[in-house]
Amino acid sequence: MVKDGDYVAIFNSIHRVMEAERLLKDKHLKILLIPAPRALAADCGLALRYAEDVRVEVEVALAEAGLLPRDVYRKSGEAFEKIGEDL
Amino acid sequence: MNRLDVRGMACPLPVVSVKRALESARGELRVLLDDGAPRENVKRFAEGRGYLVQEEQLEGGFVFTISGAPMREIVAAERAGTTVMLFGADRMGDGPEELGRLLMKNFIMTLVELKDLPDRMLFVNTGVLLTVAGSEVIEALEALGNRGVEVLSCGLCLDFFKKKELLAAGGVTNMLTIAESLLQARSVVRL
Repeated sequence: MVKDGDYVAIFNSIHRVMEAERLLKDKHLKILLIPAPRALAADCGLALRYAEDVRVEVEVALAEAGLLPRDVYRKSGEAFEKIGEDL
Repeated sequence: MNRLDVRGMACPLPVVSVKRALESARGELRVLLDDGAPRENVKRFAEGRGYLVQEEQLEGGFVFTISGAPMREIVAAERAGTTVMLFGADRMGDGPEELGRLLMKNFIMTLVELKDLPDRMLFVNTGVLLTVAGSEVIEALEALGNRGVEVLSCGLCLDFFKKKELLAAGGVTNMLTIAESLLQARSVVRL
């Protein structure tokens, strides 16, 4: 479900990830709620997937709404690289 | 030698056709197929099941010679029958609709990550809303189809919801096939 170069945002709770999904869909941003990849621990087991072309819009929208993800990762080959600690 | 021509077929039909042919074939199977996704998907599927795949390039396509590996007999003997998943709704469990839909979506996407997959996924009633345009699991269902899972939606149900033209993953089936699949399956997982 996650292709090379895709971003995966992990949230602290199911309510936050669902709220984030609603917010981004209302803005017609191309994101997908996915099961959190096995390699990334997530309490709620869900994550948001988005591509590079909408990354800025997604992350700005989340920041404005106070829905910052706990962590953001970028898929690189078989691994997930953690992006910045302060997102 | 058994022969099969899947050129011109859209995904996941090449994989589904090869899977059916392998299940009934004895000896080698020779498959004519297009380059690109059909070639990659059929190769991944056959090798993943323990078959040996030899490929030759032809003008306008490829020929695969698929032969049985010892692994195949062991796997077949262990499985001895099909596993069918029946999706009777577009949500999982009782409770808030939003949560149920989210759980179902999550379940189908999680299947993509698993090694052992069902042979067939049958969608009936509101379950067919998962296989039509606008569903968020189309990508996952296509990925499952490309790994040999038959994805079938109840035609009557699609008609009832006026979604017949919007089917976006898998094929259409009828109650006869659904009933036979359920009765002949080694195990049925009802969701």
